[in-house]
Amino acid sequence: MPHLPLRTGYLTEHFADEAYGGLEGYRAQGGYEAARHAITTLGPAEVIAAVDQAGLLGRGGAAFSAGRKWAFVPRDRPGPTYLVCNADESEPGSFKDRMLMERGPHQVLEGALIAAFATGADTTFVYVRGEYAESARCLARAVEEAEAAGLLGDDVFGTGFRHRVVITRGAGAYICGEETGLLESLEGRKGLPRRKPPFPAERGAFGRPTTVNNVETLCHVPHILARGVDWFRGIGTEQSPGTTLFGVSGHVVRPGLYELPLGTRLDELVFEHAGGVPAGRKVKAVIPGGLSMPVLPAGQLDVAMANEALRERGTALGTGGIVVMDDTTCMVRVGCVATGFFRDESCGQCTQCREGTGWLHQLMLRIERGEGEPRDLDLLLEVAGQIEGQTICAFGEAAAWPVQGLLRHFRGEFEAHVHGGGCSHTASFALPGLATGPDETEAPA
Amino acid sequence: MTSASEMRPQRTDPAGESPAGRRVRIHVDGVAYEALEGLTVLQALDDLGVLGHGVDVPHYCWHPKLETDGSCRMCQIEVDGETGLQVACDTPVREGMDVTTQSERVRRARRGVMELLLVNHPLDCPICDQAGECRLQDYAVAFGSPHARTREPRRELDKRRELGETVLLDQERCILCRRCVRFCREITGTGELGILARGDRSVVDVAPGEPLDNAYSMNVADLCPVGALTTRDFRFKARVWSLTSVPGVCTGCARGCNVTIDVEKDAVQRYVPRRNDEVNDTWICDVGRLSYRRIGATDRLSAVRVRQPDGALGEASFDDAIARAARAIREAVRDKGPGVVAMLASPHATNEDLFVLRRLVDGLGVASAGAFVPQGDRDELLVLPEKAANAVGARALGFGDGAPVLDRVRGGGVDVLLVLGHELAAAIEGDANGLAGLDALILLDTHASALERAATVVFPTLHAAEKHGSLTNHAGRAQRVVPAVGPPAHARADGEVLFALGRALRLPGFAGGFDPDGIARELAAAVPGFAGLDLDALGDAGLALPLAGRESA
Repeated sequence: MPHLPLRTGYLTEHFADEAYGGLEGYRAQGGYEAARHAITTLGPAEVIAAVDQAGLLGRGGAAFSAGRKWAFVPRDRPGPTYLVCNADESEPGSFKDRMLMERGPHQVLEGALIAAFATGADTTFVYVRGEYAESARCLARAVEEAEAAGLLGDDVFGTGFRHRVVITRGAGAYICGEETGLLESLEGRKGLPRRKPPFPAERGAFGRPTTVNNVETLCHVPHILARGVDWFRGIGTEQSPGTTLFGVSGHVVRPGLYELPLGTRLDELVFEHAGGVPAGRKVKAVIPGGLSMPVLPAGQLDVAMANEALRERGTALGTGGIVVMDDTTCMVRVGCVATGFFRDESCGQCTQCREGTGWLHQLMLRIERGEGEPRDLDLLLEVAGQIEGQTICAFGEAAAWPVQGLLRHFRGEFEAHVHGGGCSHTASFALPGLATGPDETEAPA
Repeated sequence: MTSASEMRPQRTDPAGESPAGRRVRIHVDGVAYEALEGLTVLQALDDLGVLGHGVDVPHYCWHPKLETDGSCRMCQIEVDGETGLQVACDTPVREGMDVTTQSERVRRARRGVMELLLVNHPLDCPICDQAGECRLQDYAVAFGSPHARTREPRRELDKRRELGETVLLDQERCILCRRCVRFCREITGTGELGILARGDRSVVDVAPGEPLDNAYSMNVADLCPVGALTTRDFRFKARVWSLTSVPGVCTGCARGCNVTIDVEKDAVQRYVPRRNDEVNDTWICDVGRLSYRRIGATDRLSAVRVRQPDGALGEASFDDAIARAARAIREAVRDKGPGVVAMLASPHATNEDLFVLRRLVDGLGVASAGAFVPQGDRDELLVLPEKAANAVGARALGFGDGAPVLDRVRGGGVDVLLVLGHELAAAIEGDANGLAGLDALILLDTHASALERAATVVFPTLHAAEKHGSLTNHAGRAQRVVPAVGPPAHARADGEVLFALGRALRLPGFAGGFDPDGIARELAAAVPGFAGLDLDALGDAGLALPLAGRESA
C-alpha cells in the first residue's frame, strides 16, 4: 500500500480510511449515488453534456476533453460498445493512478460505470500495468463486491442497463499506455500503436466503438455529477478545471502525491508542499509532467500547473508527475536516462523512432563519457526533430521533447561536457550501465 | 524507383478500366488526376499507373498487394492545407486535394528517414546480393545525404539465419518494413514470420521448429526492399546489373504467372514474378519460380535424331529427319488412309505451334488428335491443377483429351503417331512397349523421356522462354512469350518443325516459313475464340480472348 496523499482533495479525502476501499465504506461516503442518479434519472446525453460543460480534461497526458471524447462514440451501431480504462500508468515520475486504484477502487468503478452508461458501453476493460499487481487485486475485489451488490451485472440499479468490468493486466511495456498500443495488447497482440484514423471511437477494442479513459479522469466523473458543473468549474483554472494528483519525486524533502487544483504554481508545489530540496542544495531543474515533458530550469518555476500556462514555457502538464533535480544533478546524465528509457520502450514500428531513439541515447552517452564533439549538440536536436511529429503515435514526441528541453535550458552544461572532456558533476546521481559502453542492448541471438 | 516486380504495366487502354466508385479530382505536383475515392494517395497513384512512372514517392513498407502498414515513414508528402507532412500510404484522396511530392520540406524529411535507416544498416553493398536492385541503395542516392553523421557502432546481429529451406535472412540488413511478415499473414495465411523484441533490438525471425516453409516462401525475398532476405536459389549467383531482363510467362501451371526472366551468359538465372493484376498480382509459387531450371536442364534434347538400321537413334540433318517423317506419314496415308495417323498436341506449346499442328491434322484428314494435360495439386492462391501453360489453347484448337488417341494406339489402329512434348510418357507410365506396334513415332520434344526409346524421328524443340508466341492461361488470357535465351544447338519451335513437315507433305497452307506473328493473325481470323489475337498488341499484360469454357471439366 503506497503512502497516503500528503495533500487531499475530493478525489482522495477518504483515502486514509481503510474502509473506503471496500463497498460499504465507499457507500458510506455517498459512493455510487452519482452513478445511481445518472443511470436512473439522467440520459446518456445529459451525462455527456454535464462532463463536457464541466470542462473535464483527460488526466492521462493528452488533456483532451472527456465530454467531447464520449460524444465521438457512434450511438447507432448494432453490437457492443466498449469502455477501456487505461490503468497502464508507466510514465516515469507518475504514480497517481496506482493510489486511486488501491485506495479508492470503487471510485474508479463508479466513474467507469457512469462513462459506460454515457457511451453505451456494455463492458469496461481495465488494462492495469503489469507491475501493479496490488492495484489489479484491489480492483478485482471491488468488482466482486459491486457484482454481488447488483451495481454491475445485467440490471444495474434495476434499470435494465447491463454492465460488466473485466480486469486485464499488461506485461510491462510503456507503449501499452498509448491508447491504441493498449488496445492491441488487450486483444492479445504485441503492443504496437495503430494508425489513426480510425480512432478508437470508431474502431477500438475488438473492432468495436471504444472510449479509452485514464483512471483519474474517470474518478472525477462521479464528483462532477454529484456536486455539479459549477462546483467543478470553481476549482482550478478556466481552461483546466478541477484538481489533479501531482506526484512529486526526486530531490525534495517530502516526495509524494498532492491533490491540488490545476493551476497551482509549480514553485508552490515544489517549495511549500514538497518542502523544497534538502538543506544546502538548490533546485536546478524540474520536469513538470513526467519524463516525456520538457524540463524547466529553476528560474522558470513561477508557472501555473495548467497546460495553457505551461505551453508558454515550452512544456506541458503531461501526467502531472513532477521530478525535481537539485544542483548536484548532471543534466547530461538526465538526458542519458531519458533517451535510454525511450530507446528501450520504442515499439520499433516507425523508422524515425526505432532508429532515432537509439541514436539519441548513444549521442548522450558519448557526450557524458567526454567523447562528444561540438557538432553533437546540434545533431541531438536534429535527430530529435527528425523523430518529432513524424511517427504513428505520440511516442515520437515523448522521445524528442526531453532532449529538446535539456538543450534549450542547459546547453552550456552540454558544451562544458564536450569541451571539458566529460562530466564534472562528481556528486550527481550515478548512471548505471555507462561503463558497459554505448550499446548495452543486444538483440536476442 | 518502384522495383520491377511490382511495377504496374502501362495501360494500353487508359480509358479501359473505370471502376464503379466515385472519382475525385486531385492535383499531384501540379498535374490533375481523377482518382477513385477511398484510395490512399499512394494507391491512387499506383491505380493511375503513374507511381514510378512520372511521380516518385519513395516507399519501403507500402506494397500494392499488402495492407497499408505506415511504418517506414518514407512516403511523406505535402498536402495543401495540412500543417504537418503526411504519409502518402495512409492519406486518403479527397476532392480538390493538392499534393506536393518534391518540395524542399519533403526532401528534408526523406533525407531524415534515409539517415535514420542507415544508422544501423551495414555498408556492405559490395558484397550484398541486393546491390543494383536495392531500394535503400537507390533512395540513398536519390534522397540521402552524401555525408554520414553517425559514428556509433551498428547493430551486430545474425548475418546468415536460415528461415527455412528456401530463404536466408541477414538480420543486420533488415530495415523492419515487415513486408515479409505481412505477406505470410495476409497472403499465404501461414504466419511463419514475426518481429521479435522491440525498438532497435527488433528482428525478423521464425519461431523455433516453425520454419518458413509455405508454398510461396520465396516471394518474401522479392518483397524485401533490401538485401536482408535472399533465396538459396539465387544467392551469390549473379550481380543484378549483369542480368538481362526479359518478360516471360511461367509454364508450371495453367495460371501463367507473369515473370521476368533474368539472363546472364545466355542462361536463365532466375524467374522473378512480374506484376499482372489480372493473373498473379505480384506473386509466384516456389515450384513455378524454380521451374526455370528446366530451361537449361542437362536432359534438354539438342540433336535431331533418326532411327538407324541398327535400331539406334543417330544424329541426322533437319532436312533428312523431315523427309523421313514425311515419308512415314505419306506412306501410311497412301496405304491405309489418314485413319492410321494420329497426333498428340502438347499443352506446353504455343497457340501458334498448335495452330500449325491443327492445320497439319486438318490437311491430312487425321481424325485422331488430342492432348494429355498433366494434372497435380491446386491451392487457394495461384496454383492450378493443370500443369501446363497452354492447355486452354490446346483445347480451343480442338485437341481434347489424349486418352482416346492412346486407346486407339494400343488397339493397333495407329501406324504413325506424331507427338509434341512428353506428356504421353506419363500417360503410358514410361512404358514405351505400349508404342511398339507403331510403324513410326515422330517426336517433337524439349526434354529426354521414355518416348525416345520408341521414336523414329526426334526433333528437339524450344521451351517457351526460347521462342515467340502466345500461351492461353486458364482464364482465356493470351500472354506473349519472347526468346529470353538461345535454344539448344539444333532445337526449333514446334511450329517450325511442323511447318517444314507440312511443306514436305505438300499440304495447303504451308508455303513459306513459320512466322509466329503471321500465324497468330491467321489464327485470330480463323478461330473465333482467338479473335483479336495479335502478338504485338498483347503487350506485357496479355489480352483476354473471347474463348468459352476455358477451365477443364
